[in-house]
Amino acid sequence: MAAPYWQRRRLWVLEATRRREQVTTRLFIVPLAVIFVGLFALPVARSLYFSFTNFDGYSSKVAFVGFANYTALFSSPTILTGLSFTLIYALGQALVVTIMAIPLAVALNRRFVGRNFVRAALFFPAVPSAAVLGLVWTFILAPISMGVINSALGAAFGVGPVPWLSTDLLARLSVIGVGVWSQVGWHAMLYLAYLQSIPADYYDAADVDGASNVQRFFRITVPLLAPAMTVSLVLLVVFGLQVYALPLALTAGGPGYATYTISQNIIQLGISNAQYGQGAALSILFLIMVAIVLLAQVTVLRRREARLR
Amino acid sequence: MRKSSWVTRLAVSIVMISIACAVAFPFYYIVVNTFKTQQQTSESPLGLPTSWNLANYKNVWDNIPVLHSFENTLRVTVVSVVIMLLVGSMAAYGIVMRKTRASKRIHVVLLLGLAVPFQVTLIPIYQFFVKVHLVDSLNGLVLIYSGGAIFCYFLIQGYMLTVPYEIIEAARIDGCGALRMYWGIVLPLIRPVLVTVGIFQTIWVWNDFLAPSIFLISPSNYTVVLQVYQSVGQYTTNWPAFMTLTVLSLIPITVFFVVMQRHIVSGLAAGAVKG
Repeated sequence: MAAPYWQRRRLWVLEATRRREQVTTRLFIVPLAVIFVGLFALPVARSLYFSFTNFDGYSSKVAFVGFANYTALFSSPTILTGLSFTLIYALGQALVVTIMAIPLAVALNRRFVGRNFVRAALFFPAVPSAAVLGLVWTFILAPISMGVINSALGAAFGVGPVPWLSTDLLARLSVIGVGVWSQVGWHAMLYLAYLQSIPADYYDAADVDGASNVQRFFRITVPLLAPAMTVSLVLLVVFGLQVYALPLALTAGGPGYATYTISQNIIQLGISNAQYGQGAALSILFLIMVAIVLLAQVTVLRRREARLR
Repeated sequence: MRKSSWVTRLAVSIVMISIACAVAFPFYYIVVNTFKTQQQTSESPLGLPTSWNLANYKNVWDNIPVLHSFENTLRVTVVSVVIMLLVGSMAAYGIVMRKTRASKRIHVVLLLGLAVPFQVTLIPIYQFFVKVHLVDSLNGLVLIYSGGAIFCYFLIQGYMLTVPYEIIEAARIDGCGALRMYWGIVLPLIRPVLVTVGIFQTIWVWNDFLAPSIFLISPSNYTVVLQVYQSVGQYTTNWPAFMTLTVLSLIPITVFFVVMQRHIVSGLAAGAVKG
């Protein structure tokens, strides 16, 4: 028996609307597709193309030069120091933030007086711009009496001003230190969110078995935080590789080129010096570095999922 | 959680509050010095100010177009975040509604866009902007930030999958068209994720230094962060004045943080649980 009139009509309306929708929903994707092509696909393709040519922005004669731009990168000391400091920074701050953020998150997960103040104070350095924070720290680390750290050290131990920002090693450590300071609270909150999803039963069972606090931390908390660690480390390393404003504001890349970054190299080559070929080659190299980190993350996640299955 | 004795609780409290004070110390340092003269700052950089001396604020307010840079930043931030949310949610709606093989492929291709840092596309975009006269323009800056729509798309798309399909089906039966469905039904339903993503993107755009430092040239176009950065040379000797400028520049984002703190933390947790 055929469906009653009202039901048939309902199906018909549903079909018609769905068909109309199929056409309109396609249009909804168009703006993002345009942005993707215009701001991502085409520029990356152009960078890739430039990286194999000697394009200088002016002459219309563009010749294909193979990998010459790439090999030139590795013979420029400025680029090599930029590359090495960026890697040191990205890995260094990721390591220190992770080592500090996990115990902080565990402590923040306990009940204690002043917890809300502590959470807000730890998180707050993630709010202002890295450029402004870098400038603030130049005052704190300044060598003269107004630089509070040096004047405090002088008063307490009678040591002369420590050149925090003017020797290679200390300047690098200072940049990493300020980077850690500004991010550790944010990542502690990330770990805290995961911690709060660990069932209390695990700890209760550990108590029954007479586990010590240290054992609880290393046998339960740390393994269960592994997914959080993947997320946090990827964010730290990927954003760490892109570091630009902080060292620029704190040390202006100096002393010499000790705290120069890949981003600064790319800008110097591609914007200031019109060495588009080399700038583009460095961009592509940079993209490959970021892609490696992201692929590593995907691999780790896949493997973990396979183990759980 | 085990019950901890009051001794350990007190110990945790003392340790954590000391750490928090150490972390907050730079902010204390810049704020107290805004009320001091240069001499007072060099004599006691850490002491509390003896009086509420607002001379530095007046000096900075009169000499630096702080308000104008706020206006620029606010304009760029509001327009680009609205565009990002609109474009991102529209695409998410289009992809989630269609569920065809082609839309799955588009989704994967868009995912690749997330992996591309701005530094990689910077040189070609700069050249293009020179050609079309978008360098030194706030609109050009908005165009650059609209690339953040890809990130919005992913978070919104993930959230949209959790919207109960029955609601959409019911609206369809009532003959609701795609446009009204998006605007009147889907957008209100995904409000929580719009708030979260909007907050994160607002903080990013407001604080960004890379794009303004390259694309803005005339001081009348400066965003706050660029304004502070460019003014540092002017105050190499007058530290209290520069710290005052810094404090002023941080007021809007601090207010934003305080008002939105609840959403920021819950957004972090929501993102975390999803992994």
